[in-house]
Amino acid sequence: MSKMLSVENLSISFRTDEGVITPVQGVTFSVESGRTLGLVGESGSGKSISTKALMQLLPGSAVLGADSRMTYTDKSGKEIALGHMKHGSKELRRIRGGEIGMIFQEPMASFSPVYTIGNQMMEAIMLHRGLKKREAREYAIEMLNKVGISNAAARVDQYPHELSGGMRQRAMIALTLSAGPALLIADEPTTALDVTIQAQVLDLMRDLQRELGMGMIFITHDLGVIAQIADDVAVMYLGTIVERGPAKEVIRNPQHPYTQGLLDAIPSLDHLHDRLKPVPGDIPSPTARPKGCPFHTRCAQAISGTCDVQEPQETSPLPGRAVRCWLHETKSRSAA
Amino acid sequence: MLRFTLERFAGMVVTMLLVSVMVFLIMEIPPGDYADRYAFRKYSGTGVNVTEADIEAIRRDLGLDKPMLLRYFDWIGGIVLRGDFGQAFAFETSVTKVIGDKVWLTAGILFSTLLLTYLVSIPIGIYAAVRRGSAVDYGLTVFSYLGLALPNFLLALVMLYFANRWFGADIGGLFSDQYRDAPWSLAKAWDMAKHLWLPAVVLAWSAVAYQIQTVRATMSDELNKLSVTAARARGVPEMKLLVKYPARLAINPVVSTIGFDVNRIFSELPIVAVVLGLTELGELLLRAYLDLDMNVAGAILLLLTFAIVFMNFVSDLLLAWLDPRIKLGV
Repeated sequence: MSKMLSVENLSISFRTDEGVITPVQGVTFSVESGRTLGLVGESGSGKSISTKALMQLLPGSAVLGADSRMTYTDKSGKEIALGHMKHGSKELRRIRGGEIGMIFQEPMASFSPVYTIGNQMMEAIMLHRGLKKREAREYAIEMLNKVGISNAAARVDQYPHELSGGMRQRAMIALTLSAGPALLIADEPTTALDVTIQAQVLDLMRDLQRELGMGMIFITHDLGVIAQIADDVAVMYLGTIVERGPAKEVIRNPQHPYTQGLLDAIPSLDHLHDRLKPVPGDIPSPTARPKGCPFHTRCAQAISGTCDVQEPQETSPLPGRAVRCWLHETKSRSAA
Repeated sequence: MLRFTLERFAGMVVTMLLVSVMVFLIMEIPPGDYADRYAFRKYSGTGVNVTEADIEAIRRDLGLDKPMLLRYFDWIGGIVLRGDFGQAFAFETSVTKVIGDKVWLTAGILFSTLLLTYLVSIPIGIYAAVRRGSAVDYGLTVFSYLGLALPNFLLALVMLYFANRWFGADIGGLFSDQYRDAPWSLAKAWDMAKHLWLPAVVLAWSAVAYQIQTVRATMSDELNKLSVTAARARGVPEMKLLVKYPARLAINPVVSTIGFDVNRIFSELPIVAVVLGLTELGELLLRAYLDLDMNVAGAILLLLTFAIVFMNFVSDLLLAWLDPRIKLGV
């Protein structure tokens, strides 16, 4: 497995009327080809912004940190520094779609309502595969078939509103994959769908990823979904990754109090009579980021005088795992 | 699309029919009728004593003694079947002769104004939305407010002055002297085009200002849509992306108000025409009202409302083409 994407120390700030806010601070993660990284966190934790930065899709008011590095290895093995490509350059357009594909949460809103599914698919196919119109249409039908849309030859000429929600998301997957990306970024692709449809779409995405050997970044707020689809997981809180490691191990044995809280908050059929245990408190606004560990305001195990003063560094309590928490840092320090 | 077009076309015909009934009723409102005014005009000052029986004879000759419903059908039938709008008494000639060329001149002013409005305001509005918050954007906003605040007859005077100073030409009217009464020819049409831009600019001015703001607002909304981000994320070149996705939907409110624009141009035209010395229908309409020349007034009213109804039909078709959800009835 080769590392196809490595993000180091990514910080993103926005100039706003109320001053500079920094919703992403020092984020480091990597994706290997053929594997899935799950990015988990509540809304506002900076998951989507981080991935949008990879594609240079952020508004003009966004500024990347000076020592932020995003290195992508393309299909031909060439290393490309993301985030600093010229706007409108051919290179950037090749990366967008052709190398890195993106699927969004709202399948209805991600299609334009005034063009047929086929029109929008063929546009991507002609751009990235260099096919003629007729071949592109045939390829589009083939891809629609592949994602399990019945009667694809007729569906290709339909408008997005003529499809059901689940069908639309399947069509969006077909559209994104038809450009042939090596890395797929899926931004909460199942959140807006019914639970039964969710499971189907997840299955489909996992199968397609295996078949095409793509790397994938799967953004979600749902650790249950992560358990089904991700190989590795990174848990984000207020713009920093607080814990990362292999998905199974993190879920079985979470090290950060926030990860533990998220897992406790998942409803379970085994304990129907227990009340849900939500993570107490609200996620603070990025304009009022707490001093020290950003989670200390909601953490039951916070050490006063430490957690609310200084931000913890990343430590490795177990092999292959990384945590940003004073509980572990003090432990490893006292052991040493 | 064919079914949609037919439906809208049928709607247009029905609307025109209703409008024609209203116009006919308006023609009937002033006291007296054609016979009274004809007799008055013909014999006043001649010393001839006109009796009620004479007027009754004229009335019978012209078929004015028939019931109103029949007279309506005579009137509309003449227009539809023979293009005959009846007699104009003020001029002792047919309405068709009186309005004649003015119809085409008015149509020329109307279409060049519309074309100019949209060709200028749509690209600029899109540009302002894309460069939102830039100096150019603020500059355009200032221009817009100026454009909306400036009365256009004043603008017409100012433009007339500068056009005369800079281009030297006598710019009032629609034709140079040598073509004014000449028969239609290519040279005359070209001469008209050279004069047409001034009234078009004057009449388009405020509409351009208004439509720039409309396009800018809807374009700004459209630019923030997820579908635009999604298209960008699949590598669609920016220029193509702007035209294909947000711009197509952003011009929707402009297209849907084509009928209003036509209406506004007709209402502003007479005063601009007076300042610029144009011959067009609006001024004639005012004169016809003053003379109670209701056949002429009716013909002009009918043509103007038909133009508005027809442009609404065009606007409907364009809207359905821009946004296929409309004809699918979603």
